[in-house]
Amino acid sequence: MLDFSAWFNDLLAGNLIFTPTTLGYYWEGLVTTTQLVFLALLAGLILAVPLAIMRSSKHKWISLPVYLYTYVFRGTPLLIQLYIIYYGVVFVDGIQQTFLWPILREAFYPALIAFTLNTAAYTTEIFRGAIKATAQGEIEAARAYGMSPRLMMRRIILPSAFRRALPAYGNEVIFMLHASAIASVVTLMDLTGAARFVYARFYAPFEAFLFVAAIYLCLTFAILYFFRYLEKKLLAHLRPQTA
Amino acid sequence: MAATPTPLEVRNIKKRFGDTEVLKGLSLEAQKGDVITLIGASGSGKSTFLRCMNLLEQPDDGDLIVHGEPIRFKTTKHGREPEDWKQVVRMRAKLSMVFQSFNLWAHMTLLENIIEAPIHVLKKPKKEALEHAHALLERVGLSARANAYPAQMSGGQQQRGAIARALAMDPEVMLFDEPTSALDPELVGDVLKVMHGLAEEGRTMVVVTHEMSFARDVSSQVIYLHQGLVEEAGPPSEVLGNPTSPRLKQFLAPKY
Repeated sequence: MLDFSAWFNDLLAGNLIFTPTTLGYYWEGLVTTTQLVFLALLAGLILAVPLAIMRSSKHKWISLPVYLYTYVFRGTPLLIQLYIIYYGVVFVDGIQQTFLWPILREAFYPALIAFTLNTAAYTTEIFRGAIKATAQGEIEAARAYGMSPRLMMRRIILPSAFRRALPAYGNEVIFMLHASAIASVVTLMDLTGAARFVYARFYAPFEAFLFVAAIYLCLTFAILYFFRYLEKKLLAHLRPQTA
Repeated sequence: MAATPTPLEVRNIKKRFGDTEVLKGLSLEAQKGDVITLIGASGSGKSTFLRCMNLLEQPDDGDLIVHGEPIRFKTTKHGREPEDWKQVVRMRAKLSMVFQSFNLWAHMTLLENIIEAPIHVLKKPKKEALEHAHALLERVGLSARANAYPAQMSGGQQQRGAIARALAMDPEVMLFDEPTSALDPELVGDVLKVMHGLAEEGRTMVVVTHEMSFARDVSSQVIYLHQGLVEEAGPPSEVLGNPTSPRLKQFLAPKY
């Protein structure tokens, strides 16, 4: 049987940059990036569903606040949002005395908050578009068959809108993954942070950054395939039947 | 009081869109087993009249009595609307509608379309709903398409599926809004055959249609509408066989 660690050490022998230590940094960066992006997307998705429903409301005082929120978060750079949350939170009166401080002091949580609010804003608008595009005839049928507005939202509008939103949402997920690279500017050791560290240590820009670019590419492929699978499963109703 | 309440009664329905009064006081009474066809040129208000019956359109005036239960209305600053939407939801579950453009729910298979409202609106057990659905699919000749999505079916199949969906509600009255107008001529026959069968088994139906042969052969009453008013009404032998108003005569005359 092949001794994996021996084979791996052989491969690294004579290589000054990709030592087990630096690969360890990359690994930790990969874990941080994955956690950050996954948690932000999850929280953003959970926030976006009710926000999109509110945003689609015909009552101004329900839809307008959500519109303002999405306008602000889509209208300003994510980096600025991250700066405001990361640097600004220190100045909130008395926050250093609360139980939140040990959490907010870390770079991870301000980054998570900024990313969540940002992706929630984009996802809300994606869902809103999909909700608005629901076929009027299907809504009419739901009403004619005695569905209450709530039941209609749950059974007809949302399931159909989520399916329509899937391709656009897949793009948002990839965008979030790449946007997460800016977390490294607030001292977070994500993938890009690890690459910057290796670059600074060895002054080897191509090795450090090409390697991390390859990792991002692999992650993107994984996301693409996941969404391709979901689309195949959930968008079956849009494909003509293959005999 | 009658032993069984009248399935559907509408009295003096009025409706305006902006400055145009499209319905100027229309009434109709559907007894059990009646097949009432509404005919008339486009713009005569027949579809709007039908849509007022299940309140897809809100009538500005008039009464609506479903299975002996009058729908209560209130006047707000937006106009007249039902006082209790729960009552409307309950009433709609008794009247099922078949649309011109089928309006099946695109993200569900045909079978899922049929069991959707029985399970979630009528709260039927799933097993019972499925059994009923399969029997209905058999009846409209679509057993083989149970797991097809609407986009994968022809127009005629979709419309027969939509009729099965309507039947799954065990409706008091079925409302048909030009059910064959969006179909290719060769598919019209299949849909009409299904509707003919429904009439024969004593279903109460209100049908807006341009199919004069259907109106003549199947209906118990024909109502000819013109500009939001009843111009002529009665059994088909009289209205279609011996029209009195010049407008109806012209409407029924061969077009070429």
